[in-house]
Amino acid sequence: MYNEFVDEYDSYALEGTENYHYADRIDGEYGERGGHYPTYSIPEEVKKYITYFRDAIRDGNVYDIPSLYMDFNRLTEEYYKTQSWPVVEDLYGNKLVEQDGMDDIFLILYKELYYRHIYARVQGGPTIPQRFESYYNYCSLFNYILNADTPVSLELPNQWLWEIIDEFIYQFQSFSQFRSKLGKKSEPEIEMLKESPKIWNVHSVLNVLHCLVDKSNINRQLEVYTSGGDPDSVAGEYGRHPLYKMLGYFSLIGLLRLHSLLGDYYQAIKVLENIELNKKSMYSRVPACQITTYYYVGFAYMMMRRYADAIRTFSNILVYIQRTKAMFQTRNYQNDQINKQTEQMYTLLAICMVLHPQRIDEAVQSSLREKTLAEKMSRMSRNDTQEFTACFTFACPKFLSPVPPILDSTSTSTRREPFQQQLKVFLDEVQQQQQISVMRSYLKLYTTMPMEKMATFQEMSETDFRNALLCFKHKMRNITWTKGTSGLQGDFQSDSEVDFFIDRNMIHIADTKVAQRYGDFFIRQIHKLEEVNRTLSKVKV
Amino acid sequence: MEPTEAKRQTVASMLRGIERYNPENIHTLEQYVELQSRENGYDLEANLALLKLYQFTPGTYQSNIACQILLKALTNLPHTDFVLCKCLLGQDQMEDVNIKRIMYLHDLLEMCQFQTFWTEKHKYSDLLSGIKDFSDSIRKYVCHVTAITYQNIEKHVLQQLLGNIDENALQGWMNKYGWKEIEDGLVSIASQEDTVKTKNITEKIDFDSVAGIMAACR
Repeated sequence: MYNEFVDEYDSYALEGTENYHYADRIDGEYGERGGHYPTYSIPEEVKKYITYFRDAIRDGNVYDIPSLYMDFNRLTEEYYKTQSWPVVEDLYGNKLVEQDGMDDIFLILYKELYYRHIYARVQGGPTIPQRFESYYNYCSLFNYILNADTPVSLELPNQWLWEIIDEFIYQFQSFSQFRSKLGKKSEPEIEMLKESPKIWNVHSVLNVLHCLVDKSNINRQLEVYTSGGDPDSVAGEYGRHPLYKMLGYFSLIGLLRLHSLLGDYYQAIKVLENIELNKKSMYSRVPACQITTYYYVGFAYMMMRRYADAIRTFSNILVYIQRTKAMFQTRNYQNDQINKQTEQMYTLLAICMVLHPQRIDEAVQSSLREKTLAEKMSRMSRNDTQEFTACFTFACPKFLSPVPPILDSTSTSTRREPFQQQLKVFLDEVQQQQQISVMRSYLKLYTTMPMEKMATFQEMSETDFRNALLCFKHKMRNITWTKGTSGLQGDFQSDSEVDFFIDRNMIHIADTKVAQRYGDFFIRQIHKLEEVNRTLSKVKV
Repeated sequence: MEPTEAKRQTVASMLRGIERYNPENIHTLEQYVELQSRENGYDLEANLALLKLYQFTPGTYQSNIACQILLKALTNLPHTDFVLCKCLLGQDQMEDVNIKRIMYLHDLLEMCQFQTFWTEKHKYSDLLSGIKDFSDSIRKYVCHVTAITYQNIEKHVLQQLLGNIDENALQGWMNKYGWKEIEDGLVSIASQEDTVKTKNITEKIDFDSVAGIMAACR
């Protein structure tokens, strides 16, 4: 059966090459929208850039590719801020690339950047044919890599490899959402979607990711790496090659994201079972990948009611982001993405801290004290459902439905958004925990308290009050990761700031008292001062 | 080997890699759910895989199987399996009357409203009768919550929480968890004083964090 899936995947790609000309033909009709750029006007600098880039790929020039890749952003700012890069035909027309197949790989990579740029920058976004072509282009790229008899010699910077996987899933997500909004589509558009059910199909996306994972033996490599061995010893012919190794690793993160978008949080955490999240590793050098990983892991933990794990995950990455802030200052769409995700993680952390107050890193805690977040938190702790909804809506991933809506537009399709379901699950949980924050604020005031007395304070019958106490204990005791690589494993622990137990009819309350942390404050300030001094000494007057 | 255990291994091998999404697995997984209900076995991962297949191929969805999966998830409280399953359902499926009834039971149990649960349980016998040892699974969960909350509990309260069971049955549960009746009408659960106590967090500065500063001060 495994092979059948692979065959199916192959046939998509074949279909892809056939369809490609067809798609080109329609491109003419929709050309204006995509910002078709006439042949004669490719700027000299861009021509030069494309020629260099082509040569670097032809010669496998590993040293130049990273900077050429970065240059794409620079030139975009200069020449293609809102319109698309030159189409492939224009490259042929200007004799920038050969048509005999020698530049095929360069063209695939060029198109990867070309379409990604359309998704990010061109007004109105990609047209349906462009969405299809971009899909086929990814198929060609992955076919080239996966179907080779020996490992392909291509070497690309890690940053790019990560962005290939990230973008592949992003475009799938974008397509699923585009497809689910039928109302705004014309007849021919709906027709086109109906005729191509296999394009951006969830099975093929999953298949690509799984194939990359298998081909690279990445799981085995990670296992050996964690136990202190040499991953190359189990990597196999393909997995030793950096291209395969890193694509395999990034595909695991891709699967984490994809499963999360589908609401499968168990599987999301499970695919990372061989990645040691709480340690730095040789695989974690691409910041955007690190941040994405922690965002989805933290979110999945939150949905699984593993608040302590979610809080640890978010604080870890937020501390990292605070320390490396300078890296994400330049404005480009990758950094915009990172900054948005950072804000989302602060919001998720705020939610978790309301539901499960505990001690966290001082620097992160002080960000939570900033005005807007602090206000949100205080509204949430007063059980303001609207605020919970608003925070969740802002901070959650863009959930998607793996299946197309019923495309016969005559029937008013009633399939509601997957987002609503995830929101409901979350709000149900919040609802169940509703009484806890009030009880916590009462309990904090005492060290011992007879049950019936406190029940009267809260205007509850003793039975109801007992249930509420049991519920408090139950909800505050979560599975928490303690050791090992698997993020699913853990023990029941209670890290709640306020805890209690009942002896017969007496509640015994334990609070957490925290002494002021002066030393920590001074250390921070001294470090800051030193940094300022260092910067000052570099300034030449 | 028990039938569930044997099946567990076959199913686990079915769910490796991309095979997990093969719609041809649906039938086997459905049978497996029914086996779990009959034999009081449990396999969260297989059940989630089935719900995912339903999500990918909505035409194959079977409400009564989904109900069984949810009820089995209840038997594994205090774990959050139920929430995980719920996340894989669609909104249309949540409209189903039986699913809604199970959601209500879940709410009661998560909020520890055990007395209400036991009084209303008989209204759900159409759903629950197919799940072997359902009540005892819930009692296990009650015992868990009791064990983390109480140091000593009045016997009649414990009896009530467990669904007004008779003296004999109560003795059985007490023996299972090693709980002793220390005086008339009082059951000793566990010493909580050691685990639940006021924490004083004072600042500790380790050498590493000041080493850098000290070096710079030279």
